[in-house]
Amino acid sequence: MERNEVFTRLNNIFRDVLENEDIELTDSTIAEDIEEWDSLSHIQLVVAVEKSFGIKFTSLEIMKWKNVGEMVDSILAK
Amino acid sequence: MIVNSFNFLFFFIVVFLIYYIPWINKNGRRQNIWLLMASYFFYGVMDLKMLGLLAGVTVLYYYLGKLLKYEMERGNAREASIVKTSGIVVGVGILLYFKYLDFFISSAVELLNRIGLHVSWTAMHIIMPIGVSFFIFKLMSYLLEIHRERVQPADSLLDFSVYIAFFPTILSGPIDRPNKFLPQIQKPRRFNFDKAFDGLQQILWGMFTKMVVADNLDTITSAAWNFNTNSGVYMFLAALLTPIQLYADFDGYSNMAIGVAKILGLDIAKNFNHPLLARNVSDYWRRWHMSLTSWITDYVFTPLNIKFRNWGKVGLMLAITINLIVIGMWHGANWTYVLFGLYHSLLFIPLVLSDSFGKNKKLRAGRFGLPSGKDLFMMILTFLFVAFGQIIFFAPDITSIIDYLANFSWRIGSFMQGFEQIRQVALALLFSLTIIVIEWRTRDKEYAIQAKSRSYGDTLTRFMLLDLIIAIIIAKFGMSASQTFVYFNF
Repeated sequence: MERNEVFTRLNNIFRDVLENEDIELTDSTIAEDIEEWDSLSHIQLVVAVEKSFGIKFTSLEIMKWKNVGEMVDSILAK
Repeated sequence: MIVNSFNFLFFFIVVFLIYYIPWINKNGRRQNIWLLMASYFFYGVMDLKMLGLLAGVTVLYYYLGKLLKYEMERGNAREASIVKTSGIVVGVGILLYFKYLDFFISSAVELLNRIGLHVSWTAMHIIMPIGVSFFIFKLMSYLLEIHRERVQPADSLLDFSVYIAFFPTILSGPIDRPNKFLPQIQKPRRFNFDKAFDGLQQILWGMFTKMVVADNLDTITSAAWNFNTNSGVYMFLAALLTPIQLYADFDGYSNMAIGVAKILGLDIAKNFNHPLLARNVSDYWRRWHMSLTSWITDYVFTPLNIKFRNWGKVGLMLAITINLIVIGMWHGANWTYVLFGLYHSLLFIPLVLSDSFGKNKKLRAGRFGLPSGKDLFMMILTFLFVAFGQIIFFAPDITSIIDYLANFSWRIGSFMQGFEQIRQVALALLFSLTIIVIEWRTRDKEYAIQAKSRSYGDTLTRFMLLDLIIAIIIAKFGMSASQTFVYFNF
């Protein structure tokens, strides 16, 4: 899968879960950039991403992400 | 040697003067050597026997950190995980030994006796090293942060030892994180007037809340547990004053520690964000003892929440419950702390079910600068729930909780009993009300008397006057400096 393709799908998931249609993800997007993205919605995002891509992250992977770019790297590595 | 004592003042003046001597000040390393000497002296005065333990675990974790990084760089995920886990096992093991072993054995013996197997056992009375709960948490977070690639191992054993033993925080926190603290001591710290003055102001405010508010309230609240002699009304009042007293005590301590660190040019973790203004329990736990709760959130709650992520709200509730029991048990070995955690987790159920957990709008003033009716109602309700929780928290054992509540309701009759010292009651009420109003009025500040711009040059005279008034109040109404701090027991 192309990196761009992952981004488009991810963007839709984020808009869906966080109920905010204005979200435009980039590599450097972090939780502080999006008001609705807190530690709890973060878990909902992870669950939605795993379901949509049919993958499973390890706990350590999830805790290491520093921005959306690193999340995309994890998805592409699966 | 507590922070608001003359011994500490003398100690700190010596530390301060040498710390900023140009020859020492020129070089961060020399300042760190001096800080480490001062910190070990400070801890040694408190608990000489345990100085060896402190030094030993510091060296151990320093090298575990190096080993962990080495394995991670070589891509050995399994080995890295083993190193991290062994560090956690050692840390938890030390806490178990000093804080919980007697408790676990006596609970097991009691259970065996109940089922008919008679075992005799005498408590070992293991002496807990002062501050062990605080510095072990710092050590563990160091390894966990390296493993999560959020911090680099410390440059030197010296820097790392200063981080662990830093004297303003060694006894009772705040529990600093390596990511924030280590970079600050890698460069020399020059004396900065604004920062030092800010620190002094914060110490003064800490002395006010500790010596005037907390210690005056303590005369009422600590007598509450002799309930045979008190009326139900007195005990009800004591239960309401307890959250204010505990907050003023621990916030006072924290402000003094943060202020002392600021004078040395260091910013350390914040511990409180006006918990008396919380509008639900989730809000309360984000504002209360933040350096501990954020630690437990990062290393207990988040991993559990991730692990249980496919179980929906049940998983979330399970993570919250374990999280709160860990927070309770951190305070010591007693079933009351377990019950305290369980009680608070029950209060989370409505929040989780209504999806309002973790969502808090900023507090804004409504008409006349007061909180809105709904906010005020929620604050009072939360306060009452927290106050009830603190009866559980401070009870010596489970049956005492029931006794306390029974006395509460049955003994309303003998109204004035316990109120003999009417002046003390009046003072306690006055100071409680004062602190609540101040909390609301200064809710956007780090501490009540902080200047907005943090530049004190042109407002110095005004601050001097304010400080003078506070100093007079402390001198007039402050209790003796020999009072200890509640959190030294944990």
